[in-house]
Amino acid sequence: MTAVANGRQSSARGVGFGADTILGILLVSPILLTMTALVFYPMGRTIWDSLHRVNPMQAGTPFVGLDNYVRMFSDGQLGATWTNTLIYVVLAVAAETIFGVLAAALINQVKIGRRWILAAVILPWALPGVVNSVIWLWIYQPGAGLLNGILSAIGLPFENHVWFNDRASAIVAVTVVHVWRMMPLTIVIVLAAMQSIPSHLYEAARIDGATRGQMFGLITLPLVRSAIAVSMTNATVNAFNLFDEAWVLAGSSLETRPILVQIYLETFQNLRFSYGMALSVSITFVSLLVSLVYVLRVYRNTRFD
Amino acid sequence: MRKSIVSLLASAALAIATTAVAQDARPFAGTSITVLMPSPQGPDIASAFEAETGIHVDLQTLSWDDIRPKLVTALVAGTAPADVTEFDWSWTGQFNAADWFVPLNDLIDAETVEDIGVAKIFTVDGKLLGIPYTNDFRVMLINKKHFSDAGIAEVPKTLDELVAAAKQLKEKGVSQYPIGLPLSATEGASTSWYLLTKAFGGELFDKDFNPLFVQPDSAGYKALAFELMLLKEGLVDPASTGLKDTQINEGMFSQGLTSIMISGEPGRLGQMNDPKQSKVAGQAEAILVATESGTTRSFGLPEALAIPKVSANQEAALVFVKWFTSREHQKKNLANGFLPTRTSALSELNAEGKLNSGDALVAQSKTVEALFPQGTPPWYPQFSSGVNTAINSAAKGQITIDQAVQKIAEAAKEAMAQ
Repeated sequence: MTAVANGRQSSARGVGFGADTILGILLVSPILLTMTALVFYPMGRTIWDSLHRVNPMQAGTPFVGLDNYVRMFSDGQLGATWTNTLIYVVLAVAAETIFGVLAAALINQVKIGRRWILAAVILPWALPGVVNSVIWLWIYQPGAGLLNGILSAIGLPFENHVWFNDRASAIVAVTVVHVWRMMPLTIVIVLAAMQSIPSHLYEAARIDGATRGQMFGLITLPLVRSAIAVSMTNATVNAFNLFDEAWVLAGSSLETRPILVQIYLETFQNLRFSYGMALSVSITFVSLLVSLVYVLRVYRNTRFD
Repeated sequence: MRKSIVSLLASAALAIATTAVAQDARPFAGTSITVLMPSPQGPDIASAFEAETGIHVDLQTLSWDDIRPKLVTALVAGTAPADVTEFDWSWTGQFNAADWFVPLNDLIDAETVEDIGVAKIFTVDGKLLGIPYTNDFRVMLINKKHFSDAGIAEVPKTLDELVAAAKQLKEKGVSQYPIGLPLSATEGASTSWYLLTKAFGGELFDKDFNPLFVQPDSAGYKALAFELMLLKEGLVDPASTGLKDTQINEGMFSQGLTSIMISGEPGRLGQMNDPKQSKVAGQAEAILVATESGTTRSFGLPEALAIPKVSANQEAALVFVKWFTSREHQKKNLANGFLPTRTSALSELNAEGKLNSGDALVAQSKTVEALFPQGTPPWYPQFSSGVNTAINSAAKGQITIDQAVQKIAEAAKEAMAQ
């Protein structure tokens, strides 16, 4: 009887277990429905279809098990595109993290007009990838390009240099454009973390005679570690998803072709939809795995500290 | 009075009869169809067609490269990308295997099919899948003023004469890179190699689709070696490794920077000789494709209109296809850069003196062969991608000619196996 009374009382106040649960479900349901419709279902369907043969040129969609995944090992061009992608990831993540943290530290020192500097820095990130790439395509132009113009002006023999005729310089050229576009995000994330560090920590360090370098290494870096982890995850996922820059700057050239361009060609050129899906699933898992490894490591250390 | 009444009744009867006939002639008046074609198209297509047939056309244009993904995504999902769509010769095998388009054999009269010789390129397994509307084949384009400035009197007929002319153009300082040749990983690099393979007197495959380009004495091998020689000799711009054929046509030849387009498109002559669009107006001329032997050869890359099976307005769509490929419209459409596919239209335009380099085009059109006499295979896009990827890598010095032809053969084998 008491229990019933209590239950009625709780229910009347609207804070009982049942009411909380319903309220919670109601609050969460929009995002759950959205995620289910736009992420989980397509993801599940993609994985399922990758186990079938989906090719409009062939009748039916029979179950083929792991055939599409096994085929990857005998795909001549796939190895080259994986290598290119991994090089992009290593170069882009390293460059975005190192230069992004340094740029954030620099902007953090600025007292006047910081918001304007930040707005200017964010601009490449705000522009669509294709627009950024087209701008850089003009910069890299062999004849009238800005880069060759500057190098020639200082007396170097780069007047008609074609940056994309050499694999190493082509890979670097594509990476530079990607880093140019994505680094602002790293700067913003790390700068936000830097601004939340209490100033008294620096004052105490200064009293103890610490140099600027020591303050950066012993106070700033450890306290922005989580932010760096987040930005590295973001950089990794974006580098694995690199498409616009390579496509606009060098088309489907094998020397610069990332895995996403290969997926596009397999799917829309060769009409091998299920193989394209298997490739998409693979890149998703590899991307998540790589992100997970260092994110967990960096994040755990930060919490420990 | 009686006379007036009879006259009035006769007029009324005539008016009613005329309306009935007009309605019969415009059975789909009031219908709306969508048409998807590459840009640019003539500005008055929709209004002219509607005025004639009463069918409203929603004409959608996309860049050529963007049309195929749109078609594939819509068709694989079972929806119509449009009631009438672009249909390139290179898609014939794939799209036939996918069974996406309406066979037009019984819907188009035999006279039309006979008049449009290149229609056979769109026939697979006895099914005519598209009606060609633009007669794209390959000729060579030259800047005759450049030739004159360099003191070259005769147009080259052989590949040796072509190289000699290019060297003279370079030596005289007329153009730094006299030959325009796409070497990027795009379709233009593939088609240029196919043309040169024919120019060296060979074919890509035998009748069983065994590659014929792997041996050093084969035409395909010689064609690739020829391209790399032109690059090494400084006759082709090293930046061509990153340029599509359209960029070379518009950014180099039409700007007077190059003098010879090896794999020239006849449809571009109008634009190239238009002072509003070109710096070489009046200087661009088509010549027959130079070959090793001196006997010209070419192949066709026509584009057609086709009707998806999932179109809800197939009958009205057919009216558009017939109208767009009619002799009258093809003659008018020349002004928009589309060379007629009807032999009759081509001959009439030439007789009327309206065809740029008309004699050369008519002569070359008689030599046009199908790239694949057996019919374009479904694996063509993958093969072609393998071709231009290997050419691009070889042009950048990343692989040798031997490695490149081996890679092309492997790409063909892999494409055929799946």
